[in-house]
Amino acid sequence: MNSSSVSSRFTVLGPYPRTAVAVLLLGAALLFSFGGMRTSLYPELLSVFEWMETTWFGYVGKTWGGAFALVQGGHLVSLGVLGGSVLFSDGRLLGLFSSLPIRDVIDGAHKVFVGALIVVVATGVFMVCGVAVKVYYLPVFWYKMLTLTVGVLFAFFVRKPLLDRNIDQVNPWVVRLVAVSSVMVWFTVAATGRWIGFS
Amino acid sequence: MSDQQKETDKTLRDDTLAAVVVSGSIVTFFIVYWFFEIQSVRELLEMAYG
Repeated sequence: MNSSSVSSRFTVLGPYPRTAVAVLLLGAALLFSFGGMRTSLYPELLSVFEWMETTWFGYVGKTWGGAFALVQGGHLVSLGVLGGSVLFSDGRLLGLFSSLPIRDVIDGAHKVFVGALIVVVATGVFMVCGVAVKVYYLPVFWYKMLTLTVGVLFAFFVRKPLLDRNIDQVNPWVVRLVAVSSVMVWFTVAATGRWIGFS
Repeated sequence: MSDQQKETDKTLRDDTLAAVVVSGSIVTFFIVYWFFEIQSVRELLEMAYG
């Protein structure tokens, strides 16, 4: 084998592309928030939210309370399942359930996490359609979307690639840091979701 | 050390560094947010009850 595979890591983003993308995304998020782009884009999104209320989902959500409540029940149950998978997996990384094989816990919990996330997003879209214009004006709705986006990106592009390898190769303090921040993010997603209900 | 081992080590360093940057940002945000949130609640309680 020659050095071609080693040199392939030297992409246009440098020798550490994942880190470079993470730093670029964090910088872009800060620029978007504080650089004026967020305030200029916000009014243009109103028409999208108004349109969402005119869709079939929006019509059913607004006129049939039982359907909305049923879907909301599915949303909350799937969020509970998602939270359970996060706590189980991250708890194992933090040293809980130490009698269980760490690889089985991480892989099994991730499958449950993906399934629950699909249901959370699908039911969430339906629920937003029913009250689209109301949530458009709620700052906490945007906090939830932000934390959900951060949580999904973190789970699939930071946490999973790190934990897909042999865990013993990874610095244990980094594993604990990842587990703690993962729990923080998903608790915030759940908390902001309930906050919408109280707004 | 073989080239494949070097490649694996470099990928591990990249994934670890990305995890530290993102997780550190999340934890730092939470510490700063809750510091000011708790400070705000304490000030409100002081105004209300002295």
